[in-house]
Amino acid sequence: MAQPLPHQDKKRVKVYELRNNDWFDRGTGFCTAKFATNEDGHKDPKVIVESEDQPERLLLETTIQKQDGFQKQQGKCAPNAHRLAGARQWRGYGLELPGGRGMRHDMVYDNLDDELAIEPIPPVNLPAAELGNLAEIETSLRSMSSTAAGREAVTKFIVAEDYIDKLIPLVEIAEDLESLPDLHRLCNIMKTILLLNDTSIIEHSVSDECLLGVVGALEYDPDFPSHKANHRHWLSNQGRFKEVVPIDDENVRRKIHQTYRLQYLKDVVLARILDDPTFSVLSSLIFFNQVEIVQHLQSSPGFLMNLFGIFSAHYPETKKRKEAVLFIQQCCAIAKTVQAPARQSLYINFLNHGLLRVIYYGLRHVDVAVRVGATDILISIIEHDPMLIRQTIFRQMHEGSSSLLDCLIDLLLVEVDLGIKTQISDALRVILDHGNTAAYSEPANNNGNNGNGNGNGNGNGNGNNGNGQKQQTSEYAFRARLQMSVDPQHEHFLNRFYDTSAVKLFKPLIELDSRPNLDFTVQEAAMFSGLVEVLGFFIRQHHRFSRYFFIVHNLAARIILLLKCRDKYLQLVSIRCFRLIIGLQEELYVKNLITNDVLGPILEVLVETVPRDNLVSAACTELFDFIKKEYLRDMVKQLVAEHRDNLLLVEHIPPCRDLIMRYDHTEGFTTNMDIFADTDDDMMKRPAHIRMLEYMPIDLREEEYWDSSDPEDDNEDQSSGDRSSDSGGASSKPLVDYDSDEDDEDAEESAEHDADHQSKDNDDNDNGEDPDADADFAPRSSSASPNVPPPERLSEKRRREEDEDDDDELGKLMHSKRRNSSSTESNSSITQNLNRRRKNFANGAGNGVTPRKIAISLSPALKSGGPSRSDDDL
Amino acid sequence: MSDLDKAIAQLRSCRPIPEDQVRELCHRARELLIEEGNVVTVTAPVTICGDIHGQFHDLMELFRVGGDVPDTNYLFMGDFVDRGFYSLESFLLLLCLKVRYPDRMTLIRGNHESRQITTVYGFYDECLRKYGSANVWRYCCDVFDYLALGAIVLGASSTLSPGMPDDDDTEIEVCDQAGSIISRFPRQRANQSASQEKLEAPNKSTADKTGPPGSGASGSSSGSVGNPTGAILCVHGGLSPLVDTVDKIRLIDRKQEVPHEGAMCDLLWSDPDEIDGWGLSPRGAGFLFGADIVKVFNHRNDLSLIARAHQLVMEGFKEMFDASIVTVWSAPNYCYRCGNVAAVLELTEDESGTGIFQRTNGDVGRSSGAVIESRGGPKNGPARRYRVFQAAPQDSRGMPAKKPVADYFL
Repeated sequence: MAQPLPHQDKKRVKVYELRNNDWFDRGTGFCTAKFATNEDGHKDPKVIVESEDQPERLLLETTIQKQDGFQKQQGKCAPNAHRLAGARQWRGYGLELPGGRGMRHDMVYDNLDDELAIEPIPPVNLPAAELGNLAEIETSLRSMSSTAAGREAVTKFIVAEDYIDKLIPLVEIAEDLESLPDLHRLCNIMKTILLLNDTSIIEHSVSDECLLGVVGALEYDPDFPSHKANHRHWLSNQGRFKEVVPIDDENVRRKIHQTYRLQYLKDVVLARILDDPTFSVLSSLIFFNQVEIVQHLQSSPGFLMNLFGIFSAHYPETKKRKEAVLFIQQCCAIAKTVQAPARQSLYINFLNHGLLRVIYYGLRHVDVAVRVGATDILISIIEHDPMLIRQTIFRQMHEGSSSLLDCLIDLLLVEVDLGIKTQISDALRVILDHGNTAAYSEPANNNGNNGNGNGNGNGNGNGNNGNGQKQQTSEYAFRARLQMSVDPQHEHFLNRFYDTSAVKLFKPLIELDSRPNLDFTVQEAAMFSGLVEVLGFFIRQHHRFSRYFFIVHNLAARIILLLKCRDKYLQLVSIRCFRLIIGLQEELYVKNLITNDVLGPILEVLVETVPRDNLVSAACTELFDFIKKEYLRDMVKQLVAEHRDNLLLVEHIPPCRDLIMRYDHTEGFTTNMDIFADTDDDMMKRPAHIRMLEYMPIDLREEEYWDSSDPEDDNEDQSSGDRSSDSGGASSKPLVDYDSDEDDEDAEESAEHDADHQSKDNDDNDNGEDPDADADFAPRSSSASPNVPPPERLSEKRRREEDEDDDDELGKLMHSKRRNSSSTESNSSITQNLNRRRKNFANGAGNGVTPRKIAISLSPALKSGGPSRSDDDL
Repeated sequence: MSDLDKAIAQLRSCRPIPEDQVRELCHRARELLIEEGNVVTVTAPVTICGDIHGQFHDLMELFRVGGDVPDTNYLFMGDFVDRGFYSLESFLLLLCLKVRYPDRMTLIRGNHESRQITTVYGFYDECLRKYGSANVWRYCCDVFDYLALGAIVLGASSTLSPGMPDDDDTEIEVCDQAGSIISRFPRQRANQSASQEKLEAPNKSTADKTGPPGSGASGSSSGSVGNPTGAILCVHGGLSPLVDTVDKIRLIDRKQEVPHEGAMCDLLWSDPDEIDGWGLSPRGAGFLFGADIVKVFNHRNDLSLIARAHQLVMEGFKEMFDASIVTVWSAPNYCYRCGNVAAVLELTEDESGTGIFQRTNGDVGRSSGAVIESRGGPKNGPARRYRVFQAAPQDSRGMPAKKPVADYFL
């Protein structure tokens, strides 16, 4: 479009001024740029436009400010040129001086011939709305809507002339005449008009007067010549609107209908042809309507009184109650989309008027739809802020009455609808997930979350929060757990829970051994898998409370029983639960698991499934791999000494083979990890294993646990003192190397220190081309692999900049480690780990560096990888 | 007629099955999928399909073009749901077929088989509308967690039709939806092309060598000179810097929501790109990876080809990096307006039994020299037939639209 302008001193331009969103023509003139001297003696560059007709009249005089961004616009691409172009296609430049002084100037060069179109937006005219003109209307509409200016002009025309109203009668006439071509044209015309994307047109189209006519025209889509939609039939059914409690405000009632129609338009009528701008116009119309409706409802006490009055004892009609529950459910669903403060006040208003009674009522209702409604309401509140519900439960506990918690537990055990079951167990988790309340009360910005995902057992505790947020959460949770006893209310709460409610909740599990058989119904299987998952969650979150409970009720032995049942996914859930407990590496748990000989049955499961490569065998293998890597001595001992026969059956699986080998090498006496690391024949694979490990949920409390000094630690430290000296002299701090990273890093270090090291030689020979090993251990870049390490994410870069001063090997190792950590919880634990290690290293080298603070930065990259993922995914 | 067959018939007519049937179906599917490894082994012949995205009528068209189940062995590379208006029917039909013919139907997970993504891109909403509650969505998401992450195709022939020796040289054949051949590309013999290139290199620009359609701008992708023992790895997105051998995929704990990073995420989110090494992905998850990465990976794992989906390609398929990786896209006129064609990739069975079969993943003892030596052989890489098809004719379906909300209070 850009055309070379004829070179001349003065350019012929048109000047428009923006007033109230409309462009007013100030006339045509010649534009010059010159320096004008102002009173200070400075020379200011100015743009001056002199009128064409009266050269003495200035159409525009403006100083070019440094901060003014001048926008050179070319042809069609320029938004302002659009507006100016009118029905004519202008070719030329627009020069925009951004306003800010209440006035906005636009200049358009014209290099066409002399007869200029003076009028800015020439009024367009569509032929009169008659059947005979339809073809012409369609073509002119189409051509006009191809340019933005044309669209604007034609929009004005349609609004001014009430053109839609004039078109509507034609639909019926054409239908009477059975003139399909006319109907198709009408449909096209209507589509084009709606896609003009103008709020007032769309609002007018869904008004009572126009709606049926508009959608009537759209029923005859020429793309589907043999079909006719039944929009009118659908929308004219007045019964679709259920008015539980009369809404007095006529305006709000209208908005409600309008919203429904807009949604119908968006989802059904225009679904296939909707372009992005129209989509967002529709969506925002819907959004603002909903905000207004919700605002109105919660602020009219009379309405709320009537609504919740339906649930009072003297109100007889149960059908009305069902509808009221569903009504509230819909309110809450809409509330999820509005801003947090409005949502907050809605929930509080509801709660004050007796929402809990409604939830109680709904949860116990025979109709599954009502139960779904009640759980949805509950979930939407605790998703917003669990404290709202928790406070109620505290109060109920104080009063000694049966709490909502018990109600939920009862329901969970008897509920037949699996969807509700999952939701209730999610709700339980959120309510009982104390300690990070602050992170929760900060409203979750994950709109689409809908209370799902908590149950997916990926070990990340809170489910689907955005990653960045979760990181924050975990950081907070970490601190919160460190000061676990700070909130006596919580402690009291948990004590009460484990005294009574938990027993009730896990009763089926506790009584599992008294069952005659393990043939579960679908319901029972779902219940047990749910219980084991909830148990896993509690074990992670509740620390000592749940630990006591787990051991006293000997739940390990019960879960072992589940390993023997036929349902593969129950086996899987059980194995994953054990894996989680082992991952905590807490002495009491480890002892408990050993006492119950948990590993034997797991090994049996593996032996049974082993010819197949399936999820169960993968989970077992991974568990043994973890035990091997961490070298949990007592577990290895038990496994090899007591279950050697079975272990030999699966000897072809690397972790199992290694377990036997390591144990045999040392006959179970030595604890020196270095020997294992060095003789490890798959040394080169270890980095990968570490990486795998990092995808496992590593709990922060694990860190806490190991950070705290423990008599056990000291013993072990002595026995493995050899290694700590290896990594640089006497350590100032007991170093318990249960965490894989440290072990492997240390091994790696020692490998580097020791030039004759066999494993390193092996490494290089066998694995010279292993790009991943290189990628991971970047500092050791001896190999000439074609692969380069993946680029760091933004967050790492930033961290790297922050940490630039520690430019030692370990620092680098740390960076590459961080990159690979996936779970944010493990992230922080690793950071801590590394810091500890670094401290050791520093001490060993005699630098006497003070320990660094633990810094967990919120990574923007992670944030953006969250729910608001880029739109262009396919 | 069993319940399952009834359900299949009902779904084929694009009518959803009742909620309790969905629950039952998902339960049975879970039992089946739990038995699958993270990387499923599939033997040729197989027809590999890319994204479907809830375009039910086009899925029907795909079955018409590619042959019906169980006559054809299918492998779907994920992204069954979202975007289109019939995610539910499409996914449930595929799941029914999986349960009914477990050996003839392989489903692997795409990035849209995730709770988070489906709540944003339509599947959640669709379930809510069609059933009035999110239960069905929950059942389906449960199944998503069990879906395999990839598949290895073994036993693919290096010729398209073993009976006809004159077809021996065809490496790539492109057919339209009626089955007639659009174009055919003979195999480049490795030694010949190598010497040819040497001779002609000074005066022949790469632009002269026109690759097959769909092989994109890279004019040099005129056929693979791959590894004669190669299997084909199928995965939704692509490679991961954390996965250097196929066996690493087997170590992933896959029964979880698709994570935001890590190997599992990358496999489902990454894209190949004309870069060296690894690059940041504009999608915000996964990575971009270049030709060198693919080549090293294929070499190390005895792969001749990686088949993946995940990206819209207007021609339905696109081979990249000397045919070491191909994108297959099976949603014609994507989102009902992109105007693209779709394709499926057919790999034929090697009847001689001598071809691609024996392989060991990540065998550390393997001498690296042997592979390079055997490269001189004339046959290499599987022969590939792409069946290109367009969107189902508009009349065969109703107007695509979402189901409207039935009743409303607000």
